[in-house]
Amino acid sequence: MDPGIFLQLLLNGIVIGVIYALVAMGLSLIFGVLELVNFAHGEFYMLAAMLAYFLTMRLSLGYAATVAVVTILAVCLGYVFYEALLVHIHGGGFERSILLTLGLSMVLQNGAVFLFTTTPRMIETPLSYANIVAGSVRVSVTRVLALALGLVAFAALYLILYRTRIGRAMRGVAQNREAALMVGIDPRAVSRLAVAIGIGLSGLAGAALAPVYAVHPLMGFSFVFKAFAIIILGGLGNIAGAAIMAVALGIVESVVGGFLPLVMVDALVFSSMIGMLLLRPEGLFGRGVRV
Amino acid sequence: MRKVRLIVAAAMMAALGYSGLAGSQEGPILIGASIPITGNVSNFGQHSRWGAELAVSEANAKGGVLGRKIEIDFQDNRCNPAEAVKSVTQMLAEKKYVAIFDGLCSSAALAIMPLVERAGVPFVVANASATSIAERSGVGGNKWTFKVNPTDLSMLDALVSWLDKEGKAGNIAFLGEDSDFGRAGSTGLETALKKRNLKLASVDFFQKGNADFTPVFTKIKARKPALLALYAVDADFQNAIRQWYSLGGGVPLTGRVLVDQVPKEIMDSGFLDGTTSVQPYDPSVDTPGNKAFVETFRKLHNIAPILVSFESYEAMKVLIDAIRRAGKADPATIRDALAATKMPSILGTTIEFDDHNLAHNNAIILTIKSGKVMVLGMSKT
Repeated sequence: MDPGIFLQLLLNGIVIGVIYALVAMGLSLIFGVLELVNFAHGEFYMLAAMLAYFLTMRLSLGYAATVAVVTILAVCLGYVFYEALLVHIHGGGFERSILLTLGLSMVLQNGAVFLFTTTPRMIETPLSYANIVAGSVRVSVTRVLALALGLVAFAALYLILYRTRIGRAMRGVAQNREAALMVGIDPRAVSRLAVAIGIGLSGLAGAALAPVYAVHPLMGFSFVFKAFAIIILGGLGNIAGAAIMAVALGIVESVVGGFLPLVMVDALVFSSMIGMLLLRPEGLFGRGVRV
Repeated sequence: MRKVRLIVAAAMMAALGYSGLAGSQEGPILIGASIPITGNVSNFGQHSRWGAELAVSEANAKGGVLGRKIEIDFQDNRCNPAEAVKSVTQMLAEKKYVAIFDGLCSSAALAIMPLVERAGVPFVVANASATSIAERSGVGGNKWTFKVNPTDLSMLDALVSWLDKEGKAGNIAFLGEDSDFGRAGSTGLETALKKRNLKLASVDFFQKGNADFTPVFTKIKARKPALLALYAVDADFQNAIRQWYSLGGGVPLTGRVLVDQVPKEIMDSGFLDGTTSVQPYDPSVDTPGNKAFVETFRKLHNIAPILVSFESYEAMKVLIDAIRRAGKADPATIRDALAATKMPSILGTTIEFDDHNLAHNNAIILTIKSGKVMVLGMSKT
């Protein structure tokens, strides 16, 4: 096999994997702290991408400023999401959280269809069509930017969870909510922050990927299901596990897709998820908020 | 006395109800449409709706048909056969629709066909391109289904004939969405090549909604085909064409490439020069009817029509024309009028149905040269 082709597949896989990690880490953080699955996560990613489109293409805001604005707004939205909805169901049953977030997902998706129509939109920046070429290996600059943002997000999350008091509090709440309360940690404030960071990450993912993929109201759906598989494989709530599995899955998908029919790639991902649930339900790296 | 009052009131209610029903006979003529309003191809559903609505508003602006306005009731089928059956079954049960329109996706249209046959209501297919729809209609089949747009097979035969003349039909790789649309494309291309003792170099499918094409493009490029036939639409097409560009292409595209939806930067760069495509429509077709259609559509929606908007516009005009010629809003009479259609197309041809209730409008063969889309020619399908 031509090593250039293998290198290209490997590079594609790493980029796709980091893109998956951006979406999966937020989902994993929310599960880790609140023990609920946010089925609306993909819709927050979609809304962020839509907002990034409108800021860059309609308001002519620079791309760096767009990423910052969208991420900050997503964090704020996370706060509102927690205080308006999640706080009422926390501790009230896993099933209710599924129904609520699924319902919210449908409202957001169909609301976006109603407001923005389903026409796919592309962000056009001076870098949209620029590529980095090294021999026979090529990668678009927008993908490299998404890759860089993903790595920065992972480093920032690591620092927050591992080097700050609030991060320690988050891990404490994830391990034992009652014990955390007894030592003076406010679980509500910690949960709210975890949701805000989680939705902020999906906002960052939306802004980072808006110049890479077509922006449309249904774009969140496929990504979030892949993200579910990733967090199950990596260990529910285990952020490092999610990030490692996302990159591993991206590489496997790319290399397998480079040899086998593409339609078999999803089958491989979800078969692995089912296998993991049967053989090692805690995932490869175990449960809990860990980095 | 109280009983008498009740009986009189009941009688009056019944009379009102009856007169209301009778009134509905004189109200607007209702057409039921089943299209994907939500789901992965809802952008196409939106264009189908815009095209059909434009044809209806033009007819209504002229006073409607048979002295009545026309109304379309759009129901969502999500491009899913089960949803299509549900939406059309409900509409047929209400017995107030004179015809069923579109389906849009081939699998949805194929699922609707037996329903309209049982109910005796004409079904006008505007966009679904599967060859099997026409094969199962008309003589020896479903007499209620009429397909206005060309089949994949007929369009691809026209394309392959042109490619063969140019010596470019050997070594074609195929990449299409894993749906009736993509499968019909692959089968149509294989059939057209087989007629010329050729075959496809490779066949790959992707799931609709797939965002990343880089692995499959890397694989296809490594095989070094002479041409790549691409069957992708909507957001899939946008993602595919950008990723093809970022990987450097290197293989000219062919098949059903949506040349009117290529980003301007990619088009202007000349990257897609040498691409050939076959379509039932292109907004650049230089006929007075098409120019007027494009202008009106742009004014209404701020974007150019795509082939779905055109096909729904023209198919709805065919249906309205049949209702007018039928002389009454009766499904069976409209079916007979549809069969006798002889109506000018905005592409400059005449729309007539053959024994399989299939119209044979032109297929347009397009190419890209110096970053510009050019019509290479039109070929009767």
